[in-house]
Amino acid sequence: MLIPHPLLGLRDAQEFTYLGDANMMARPDPTGPDAEAAFCDYVFLRDNPAGVHRELWFHEQGDRSWLVVTRNTVTHEILSAELATDVARKDA
Amino acid sequence: MTELKPITALGAVAPRVLETVRYSLRENDGVAFASLVLPADRPAPAVFGIDLPEPGKYAQGDAGKSAFWTARHQWMIEGASLAETDFAAALKAELPEGRVSEQTDGWITFDIFGTKPEAITALLERIVNLPAATLDPGCATRTSFEHMSAYFVRRSDTHLSVIGMRTLAGSLWHALETVIRRLDVDG
Repeated sequence: MLIPHPLLGLRDAQEFTYLGDANMMARPDPTGPDAEAAFCDYVFLRDNPAGVHRELWFHEQGDRSWLVVTRNTVTHEILSAELATDVARKDA
Repeated sequence: MTELKPITALGAVAPRVLETVRYSLRENDGVAFASLVLPADRPAPAVFGIDLPEPGKYAQGDAGKSAFWTARHQWMIEGASLAETDFAAALKAELPEGRVSEQTDGWITFDIFGTKPEAITALLERIVNLPAATLDPGCATRTSFEHMSAYFVRRSDTHLSVIGMRTLAGSLWHALETVIRRLDVDG
């Protein structure tokens, strides 16, 4: 499986380590009134779709960047890869 | 004071050298390293006469100094034959707004010289799991090699440097020597 790194081009998936669902970037506000319930969902609940999934990959044996990779979990087709810092700034 | 004897990354007094028909593999314990991080919101200035390179690239500057890209807004700056000096301090003096960290003893450089450019190409095909153009002359990248992670810097068409973690020097040398000896036999 090849991951299209936004800066370095196609890289073998072996260079990366996988973390999981990209929604982990959306950490709840720990000072909010419903923080306990929100954190319970954040820590324990994950969607596990058979199909398109946004996930976090770490380019461990490369430039040490975090990527948000959109991948089809059924076909392993990779639809896009963005730098996680760019995604976080866009969502902020 | 106790008499201390400096040793190289491979544990000897002098750097190790391997000469074969098509290759020369040399431990280079003279390279000083410092990593440089610059603020994201302004253009990268020149350092030691080096125009800081784009992702995947390597650039040379004044008096044996060079740089390669390591991550966004981050570069490794090299100083040939400056390992005995306080290279990080020199870099910080050159660029006070940069975030600098000393890296010299963290890494070891193995220089590989091929008799012809084709010899380096043949070697890269065995050791780097990337398209050949990724390591054309003037390119540098970090990738995995066997169980290790190393920087590969293509300084010229016949000169490749493999820069690995100093603690892995023995394994890295063994892996490179094995491939080089095999290529000498197989052609």
